[in-house]
Amino acid sequence: MLAVRAGELDALGELFERHHGPLFGFLLKLTGNRPAAEDIVQTVFQRMLKYRHTYRDEGSFTAWMYHLARRSSSDHFRKANAAPHSTDPANLHGHPDDAPHAALHATARDDQEQLYAALAQLDHHDREVLLLSRFQELSFAEISTILECSVGAAKVRAHRALRTLKEIYLKSC
Amino acid sequence: MTCQHARDHFPELLDPRTAATAHREVRSHLASCPACQHEFAAISRTAHVLDALPVSPPSPRLRQNFYALLDAEKAGSSSIPFAAAKPSRRFGFIRWIVAPVAAVALALLSFVAGTRYTPAPAPIAPDRAIAAEADATTAHRKIAELERKLDTMGQLVGYSILQQQQRPTHDRLRGVLRSASSASENPDDQVINELISALAFDPSINVRLRAIEALFPHADQDVVRAGVLASLSREQNPLVQVSMIDFLTEAGDTEARPALEKISLSESTDRSVRDAARRALAQF
Repeated sequence: MLAVRAGELDALGELFERHHGPLFGFLLKLTGNRPAAEDIVQTVFQRMLKYRHTYRDEGSFTAWMYHLARRSSSDHFRKANAAPHSTDPANLHGHPDDAPHAALHATARDDQEQLYAALAQLDHHDREVLLLSRFQELSFAEISTILECSVGAAKVRAHRALRTLKEIYLKSC
Repeated sequence: MTCQHARDHFPELLDPRTAATAHREVRSHLASCPACQHEFAAISRTAHVLDALPVSPPSPRLRQNFYALLDAEKAGSSSIPFAAAKPSRRFGFIRWIVAPVAAVALALLSFVAGTRYTPAPAPIAPDRAIAAEADATTAHRKIAELERKLDTMGQLVGYSILQQQQRPTHDRLRGVLRSASSASENPDDQVINELISALAFDPSINVRLRAIEALFPHADQDVVRAGVLASLSREQNPLVQVSMIDFLTEAGDTEARPALEKISLSESTDRSVRDAARRALAQF
């Protein structure tokens, strides 16, 4: 990123190739919405270009990228909330269950589908801290920077989120 | 060690990076407490399924859009050294001199041709001929006066544009930032006009992007929205186009709808711009 800041814009292509897959995975699990996840990845790299002059060599690039992703995600859903047909996955638990009849559902049971459904029922902030702590090879010090909280608070929130997920997930199994 | 205390340390046991250094007391408690073993097994199973969640790769559209964006930015960045380079500056100098002078010359030529090649007047009575001659003299005087005014105006326009474009990019950028700062303190018409002019006419993408950012707080003014909408139709850079579309969307300017529909359907427009236009239309 330092090279990008110095004007070597091609270096951003390398960063894109290295990071866009994991970033997309994180955003897909966070939002449960493929088009939204792709749009947010696009916005993150667009902002990297736009604000490259503001990049400081403090902490890791990955932490900075997830910080941008978090901001872009909340901007995306803030804008999308004004549009028709937008649904924040965090609110899904408040809606009637559109799943098929329980008997049919039972036959189509799949651990991963169950877990996706359980993830969607988590509070957005719990889902965020959990996904950051499990997938992104980030230390809790980096996660605390991204979430703008203390290391201890990040650990407690991640643990609490995993426990809540376990309760929802095992109840549905 | 209590069960609660042991459970507080489960995340460390579940994290491969910290499992090896987790408290020995936690391990020994876990080995002897069936309730905690049950809890740890359940959390461990959840974490295992969570870690194994597959993610299919994003669509190729994402990569295409990114590289289109990167190319646009590279083209935009390279416009700054080009503007500073001598041959290009000379070309810009000539262009900005020639364009207004040619426009004024064309206007004068049309005017003179119009006056010289008008059809010959029909024969008139002698008593009206004197009045007609007096009218013609007055008309000639007015024409000469107009020509002089037009000439002066052309010189002024050319001089003003020349002054503006001769300044280096960083100087113009600083000017826009100064206008932005004074617009936030005292948003008078002149400052807003300067920002709209920079957005519409400045050759540097960076200057235009700063101008649109500076106009965001004034999106409630009709003149600002109209200026951005008018600039959108002539804008060629996808980054600036997307920023303009975001601006119009945030401002809720429904008058932008026809222009956005046109952009969203245009095959020659960059895909990211078309997508932005579609999103804006959905929000309207």
